[in-house]
Amino acid sequence: MKSSTRLTKAWYGVLVILMALGGWAIIERIRGGLAVTNLTSTTPWGAWVAFYIFFVGLSAGSFLLSTMIFVFKMEQYEKIGRDALLVAILSMVLAMCFILIDLGRMERFWHALRYWNFTSILAWEVRFYVVYIGLLMAELYFSMRQDLIRAAKGSGWQAALARFLTFGSTDLTAASKQRDHRLLKILGSIGIPVAIFGVHGGTGTLFAVAKARPFWNSGLFPVIFVVSALVSGTALLLAIYVIRSKVMGREVDKEMVKSLAGLLTLFLFIDLGLEFYEFFVGAYGLQYTELATIETIFRGPFSWSFWWVQLFLGVVVPLFIFFHPRLKESVNAITLAAILVVIGILGVRFNIVVPALIVPVLPGLPWGYYYPTLVEWLSSLGIVAFGLFLYTVAIKALPIDTVEELREGK
Amino acid sequence: MSSDKKWAMVIDLQKCIGCDTCTVACKAENRTPPGISYNVVIEEEKGIFPNVTKIHIPRPCMQCDRPACVQVCPVKATYKMENGIVAIDYDRCIGCRYCIVSCPYGARSFDFGEDYSREMIGYNEVQAPEYGIDRGKREKGKSPIGNVRKCMFCYHRLQRGEEPACVEVCLGDARYFGDLNDPESVVSKLAASPRAFVLQEEMGTKPRVIYLK
Repeated sequence: MKSSTRLTKAWYGVLVILMALGGWAIIERIRGGLAVTNLTSTTPWGAWVAFYIFFVGLSAGSFLLSTMIFVFKMEQYEKIGRDALLVAILSMVLAMCFILIDLGRMERFWHALRYWNFTSILAWEVRFYVVYIGLLMAELYFSMRQDLIRAAKGSGWQAALARFLTFGSTDLTAASKQRDHRLLKILGSIGIPVAIFGVHGGTGTLFAVAKARPFWNSGLFPVIFVVSALVSGTALLLAIYVIRSKVMGREVDKEMVKSLAGLLTLFLFIDLGLEFYEFFVGAYGLQYTELATIETIFRGPFSWSFWWVQLFLGVVVPLFIFFHPRLKESVNAITLAAILVVIGILGVRFNIVVPALIVPVLPGLPWGYYYPTLVEWLSSLGIVAFGLFLYTVAIKALPIDTVEELREGK
Repeated sequence: MSSDKKWAMVIDLQKCIGCDTCTVACKAENRTPPGISYNVVIEEEKGIFPNVTKIHIPRPCMQCDRPACVQVCPVKATYKMENGIVAIDYDRCIGCRYCIVSCPYGARSFDFGEDYSREMIGYNEVQAPEYGIDRGKREKGKSPIGNVRKCMFCYHRLQRGEEPACVEVCLGDARYFGDLNDPESVVSKLAASPRAFVLQEEMGTKPRVIYLK
């Protein structure tokens, strides 16, 4: 018990320090405007946009994994059902934070909902995000309702919160449980197309429709977005599940971890295949801008983010672990692989956003050069720490685990 | 400004000498901050020695009839005016820069809030009356800082019955400006020339800036 409180204190301590640094960076950004970034009119999008699509992807991936449980009744993954929904909600919150600080005029963020250009993918995205976040919250609520009612009977602040959230309802009958399950199935079913076509496919589409950037301008792009979302979401949930179980001193369900690793391997291969087509078809067209973009990714000043982060750490090492006869049996190795996959997908996001904006749209216009400033890095770190902080508070305040698990833990 | 006019520009590349006077005049007219030039002159070298030539392509905003920027702007801050000019509403723009990413001509710039106050006394005291709107002093946190900016055919000058600054100052007289709706206008006749072409035609943007080979 002692060591666990010390661990908790250290964890909060680290998060508070990171959030303080991030807070300083965000204040700098508000005071100095976008001049504090290394963005230019040639490369107008950078780290914050990369992080934004990274978190939208994590959210969509986590949510789609949750539908396997609540819609397709794959009970072997039940232990991570609510976790998946919680991660999906918090990832969206972070994505919105990132896109907010990226706006040239932050104080006008509400214009995005007030005015609606029907032909703008971005305008549709904003609305999809709102609907999607509402849907996720409703789904998380109904997945917890039974346990909230049980928790409301206790004492302490969690119980008070539970009483508030259940509106004093004490309906624990089988009929109400069934109703909750049916609602979950309905919400999940609506959520699938919303998440695939609206939220993350849509985020891919907003890049794909930019015809000025041939590298993005392909029908495969939205599909790759969705697949890489599944990759990153599955990897993150696997890692979170194992780390949390270990911290709380619980038994890790090795079979589920291995099954998730199998799923992750499948998604990774699909993602790789699509990625290959993306580059191959693009390069085969011999179009100047496309070739220059691919060249920038392969040989530019930050090509290490492609070869080392995206491919080596994000694909080669994890696949090696998943196929290695001894390592694939080790929960720790699998968890390491999953964390590497998440980092790899962050590399993917950077390599999507930046290189296509380094190459000039017309031959003869200046080339861009972009690497994030300290303010950009620290603010990003701070926002991520804020997300981890919210997550830690949420798993304390809400019955994210199923009750049987809680019993096992005690 | 009668709205039956459709403004267009024709640029004769044979007459352009690559002197950049248009770029300078544009900066002076619109008092654009550091890093923003509504008009630039792209230089290209063609051929293999000894048969080489230099081409200069002045590049203002193309005021496309099918503008990619207008298509993607989430809040309709950038829009097509009756007279063919693509305008930006500085008071609505949220600075998301999606239009910069989408413009196939690189004609849009983001105003990061920098200024020439060190090089030039009183730079921030007054701003150009872009779109015919007087915005007073250039101050932090006030539009157009944090917005996207671009050439608008010097709309404020058109309202006064003048030509765009770049057309007026062109040394080689390479730029022609006029009404494409009038079949008798110089630009209409030049636009019908076999020498006429537009940049990035395959993008389907239908530019209103037409070049002569």
